[in-house]
This record gives sequence, C-alpha cells and structure tokens, in this order.
Amino acid sequence: MSTTTPTPAASTTPSLSGQAPPPRSRALLRRLLAGEGFVAILIVVFILAMAPFARGLLSERNMINVLSNFWPLAIIVIGQTFVLVLAGIDLAQTAVINLTNTVGALLVSRALEPTLFQNSVLWNTVIGPDGGPLGGGWPGILFALLIVVVIGALLGSLNGLAIARLRMPPFMVTLGTMLLFSAVAVWLTRSENVANLPDDYVAIGQASLWGALTVPALIAVALGIAAHYLLGRTPFGGWLYAAGTNRDAAIISGVPYKRVVVTAYALSGVFATVGGLLYSARLEAGRPTLADDLLLDVIGAAVIGGVSLFGGKGSVLGAALGALFFVVLSNSLNLLNLPFTVVFIVKGLVIVAAALLDVARTRLLGGAR
Amino acid sequence: MIRYRALGAATAALALVGALTACGTTGGGAGGSSAAAEQDISVEVGSDLSGKRICFGFSGSETEFWAAGITSIGDSLAAANATVIEHNSNEDPNRQLEQVRDCITQGVDGIIVIPEDGSSANTIIKEANDADIPIGIFNRPPASEDGAAIISVADNRDVAAQTVQYLADEAAKLGRKVQPLVMVGNLSDQNAVQRRNGFMDVIEANPDLFLAPIEVQTNWDAATGQSNLQAALQANPNVDVLFTSSDFLFPQIQAVLEPLGKWKPVGQEGHVIMGGLDGDNRACGLIESGYVDATGVQDLFSEASAMLSALGAAIEKGETDPDETIVDPGFALTASNFADRSQDMWGCVITPPAS
Repeated sequence: MSTTTPTPAASTTPSLSGQAPPPRSRALLRRLLAGEGFVAILIVVFILAMAPFARGLLSERNMINVLSNFWPLAIIVIGQTFVLVLAGIDLAQTAVINLTNTVGALLVSRALEPTLFQNSVLWNTVIGPDGGPLGGGWPGILFALLIVVVIGALLGSLNGLAIARLRMPPFMVTLGTMLLFSAVAVWLTRSENVANLPDDYVAIGQASLWGALTVPALIAVALGIAAHYLLGRTPFGGWLYAAGTNRDAAIISGVPYKRVVVTAYALSGVFATVGGLLYSARLEAGRPTLADDLLLDVIGAAVIGGVSLFGGKGSVLGAALGALFFVVLSNSLNLLNLPFTVVFIVKGLVIVAAALLDVARTRLLGGAR
Repeated sequence: MIRYRALGAATAALALVGALTACGTTGGGAGGSSAAAEQDISVEVGSDLSGKRICFGFSGSETEFWAAGITSIGDSLAAANATVIEHNSNEDPNRQLEQVRDCITQGVDGIIVIPEDGSSANTIIKEANDADIPIGIFNRPPASEDGAAIISVADNRDVAAQTVQYLADEAAKLGRKVQPLVMVGNLSDQNAVQRRNGFMDVIEANPDLFLAPIEVQTNWDAATGQSNLQAALQANPNVDVLFTSSDFLFPQIQAVLEPLGKWKPVGQEGHVIMGGLDGDNRACGLIESGYVDATGVQDLFSEASAMLSALGAAIEKGETDPDETIVDPGFALTASNFADRSQDMWGCVITPPAS
C-alpha cells in the first residue's frame, strides 16, 4: 500500500520516458521491493521456516503474546516514521517514553513510599504518601493521560524547533535531548520505579475486550489509521514526503518546512508517549529507564518496514509490518532458547541487512516511495 | 569477480549466524563460565526432574553473587536431570516479562526468576499463576505479597544490622562521635531497602556514637556508586565508618579512598571502618588482609537449595501455585570471627565464576 502524493512537490520519481524499458526481472524486483508486500512475504516465510524449530510458535497463546508485544512497538515505530520520512531521526523517543511514563505513573499512583520519593522535587507539591493527585478514578486517569500526551508533544516539538529554527542536525539534537529527558526522568524519581498504579490505569496496557482484541490493540489500530490518513490523505503528508525527498525544492514549492518539521517531531513524541504508556501499564509500574534498550528495535523495525533512512519513503503499513517482523523475530529466537547475546547478534545482523536493503531499494527505485 | 566476492561474504555471514545458532541451542542447559565449570557448585534439589522443563530467567550476572547464584541454580537443575531454558534479560524488565511469557508458551513445568526489581516480580508471578505453572523467586523479593510463589530471600535487614553493629563496636573504640556513610542500592529493590533499614537501625540505636549518616546512591551501578562516593567524600572528607549495601562495590570504594590516603588496613592511621553485604570472594580477601572489617553473608547455596527443593517438590506433587517464603538468616563475617566462620561464607570457598 504505497501512499499517494497530494502535492506536486513530492512527485520526484524520475521519469523513465526516453529510456529503454527495464528488463522484466528487474521490473519484478522493483515491484517486489516497492511495496509492503515484501515485508509481509518476509514475515510469512520467516514464520514458516521457524515453525518446525520454535516450539509453540503457531500456538494461540503465542499469537496473543506476539500481539501483546507488537502493539506498543508498532505505535512507537509509526511515530518514528513521521521523522524518518522527513529525512530526520528521533533518537529521543526512548527518553520521551522514560519521562512521560514516569510522570504518568506519578500522577495516578495510589501510594508512594516516602523513603523512596521524599527527596523528589515533586514531593509534597504534586505527589505525597497518598500517591499522585489523579489516581482516584477514570476522570483523573484520563486527565493524567492527556497531560502526559501533551508533555510528549511538547518534548517532540522542542526537538523539532531546534532542528527547524536553529537548523541543527537531527541526530545531534535528539542525541542530546535523549540524555536530557532521560536524566530528568531519573532526577524526578531518583531512579525509583513508581508502583501502586490503579487497576483502571493498568487495564490500558492489559485489558482484553474479546480474545486477542485488547485495549492496546484498539489504541494501536486507531492511531495507525489516523497516521495513515495523515500521511496519505492530507496536505501535511504530502509536505512531509516532499520535504524528505528534497528540502530545498519543497521550500521553493511552498511547503511550510519549519511547521512540518515541528509537527513531525511532535507526532513522534506523542506516539512514543502512547506506546510507552502501554509498556508501563503492562509492567504495572512507571520506570525512568523503561525504554533504554528500545531504540534499535524501533529504528530497525522502521527500516525493515521500508521506511528509508534517506527520507521521502515509507508508509504506516510498512512501519507496522516492520514492527511485526521484529517482534516475531525476537519471539522466535526466544522460543529457540538462544542466549541473549546470540539474540542481540542476530537482531544486529538483521538491522544491518535492512539498512543494506534500504540502499538497494533507493538505487532500484530512485525517488519512488 | 564481484559476484564471487559477494557470494563469499554472504556464505561467511550465514556460516557465522549458523555457528552462533548452534552455540545457542546447546546453551539450553546450564550456563556459566569455564571457571565455574571447573568447580561443582550445584546444590541438592531433592527431586528427580527427568523430563521436566524449567525456565530460568535472570536479569544479569554482573556481580560475583549473581554469577555464582545463576551458575549454581543452572548446574543444580541440570544435575537433577531437568531441561533448563535460560533467559538473560540484560536488566530489561520488559524483556524479562516477554521471555517468561515465551517460556509459558513452550509449556514449561516450572519457572525460576531472579527479577529485575520487586514490582516486575509481581507482574511475572501473576503471569505464572494465570498459567498454572509453579514459580520460584530467587533472592530478590516481590514488592508486595500478591500472588503465589516460592520466595527464597535473605533476612537483609538483620544481616545488615549484625554487620553494622560490628562496625559500631569498632567505632566505639575511637572514643568520639564518628561520621558514618552508607552506599545505598536501588531502592526499588526490597533487598536494598532492607539493607538500608538495617544500617539505620544501628545508627539510630547509637545516637551518642554516630553523627547524621551520609547516604550515597548507587542504584546498583558501579560507575554511579563511584562518582557519587567521590562527590560525597569531597564534601565530607572525615568519614570514619563506611557501609556498602553490596560487596561488589569494594573496587570502586578502593579507587576513591586510595588517592585520599584512606585505603588502609586495620591498625594503620587513616583506616576507614568498613563493612559490606553479600559475602563474595573479594570481601573474603579484603577481610583477611584487614582492609574491610566485616561483611553480611547471604547463604547463597542454602537459599538456592531451599528454593529448588520446594519447587521440585511442587512439580512432583503437581501443585501449580505453591506459596512459601524461605528466609535465610545469614550472619556477619567479621575480622574477629574470620578464623572460625570464613568457611561458612560462599565467597571464601568457591572460585568466583566469571560474571
């Protein structure tokens, strides 16, 4: 499902007129690489290849496990897609998760141990021995969720502003804020986990409505559809692809570049926040180090899903399939009972392979998405 | 030529992955180092677990205590003929939860977990209870009593208090008020909380001896502990008594004290009265050489044996939700009782496995 381009500026596919038609095999390869079908086929082939060796891989219970791991990661990867399409990168997503899931937990916690939290700057102002101010029921919890989503958007916007207004490199900006936001999360809680979360809050990350249809599934699907609409059916999506393909051409064509950059990073922050809340709720605690090890999974999944590190290419469906492949990969390696070092090595090789594939795609497809 | 080179590279990459995978599949049994393999540190399980599959998840093996504990549990299960599925979550509670769920998918007969912290322990216990699989928690207790599990844990508060009491007795010989300092672990870990409480019990019981204690956060991280201790000693150079919540921090303590001329054995001018907790090989050597005065000993092998025996019995009886807390009373190994009791401390009798 490749997205269409609402603005002319994004139509940067090289014209083939006047050239000899490509050989049939090359054309087939182009078609295979161009769409999300490649990742979907990869997932199916991988599952079929692993099924005889990975005990329980195709069992119902495992499917539920895989989906439970998939929804939060997919949301975060879709958020990363906005900035990758823009030819940027958001290394600070993990830090946004660390900070927002901790703040969310502090706001709704029903009790906080004074020994652990009395040295927090928030003690006796926002939090106290009875926990946070918003843990008393659904209205409070919803308000807390709104607050952390706004915080996520603001943190993302800060990155976007530094990149768009100050013209700083996205890698350096988000590397710096990754350290900054994570440090603030640790500072707020003195590195303590925030437990005693209300059941309603925990249900956001765990509750099942009917079988595999869980609250995280609903949230992820809703956000995925919204993101797909935003990227594929609105002027903003077209501006994003245009700016990611050729920044200068996009600006000359009238794309409000700075606004697009700030919005893309804000969306990355919001999606990271929501994904992080789901991770936090299923672990039943806010953690200032929750996503410390997540970044490679996010970037790797996005690239596997066909979101180009060079910008201008990628789709929500591809990003979600990339996340699914990564989750299935982790799950099957676990079911093979491999040592964690081998799991890391295999994941690393897969990410490198995906980056190589990205280069190959770019060469074969030119500017096509 | 280029094609051949590419083919060669691809073959080499595949061979590497294949070799790694082959290495991994043999690792389903007990893990551990070659050093540990030379020394049998398995304990009595008390059941024949032939045909049983046990999932063993741990969060890392970065200290001697954890390395020895992990090796001992893995070896013991293998000696009881169980098939051990080991998972290292590398200190990521989210990954540990996923690994335990993947074990449940495989239909394991029992689960043993060294959790990352108390709150994640509760989440994992709930998963095991829901799947009707008995679970044992080793040495790091859950944050609350929710759920059914076999929990084997040291009486950290009492062991710490015994150790700090010895330090207090030594400090009293100085005939003046002394400045104590405590290096605190990650306080989301109940072990760290109880060790700090044990330290505070003795400090509060001796108001005429101790000044207000200095607390140094370590979060169970060597680098954090070292930099925070350095800062604390710059602000308060006259520390007389130092208690670290874990023995694994002694190299960092030495690195900070040595340049200040405070890393001296007992009896020399500038000696800081020091104690730790765990009972590892390094602490054993440091007490013997006089640099450290005491350490609280967790009986690692007794804790492992008690938990494995209880879990093995539950599996044999078909119990799915055994609920029991096994407390290791521990003791303080001091410079005074070293000759009599050092052989009771695990760190003095084993070659430390590589972490």
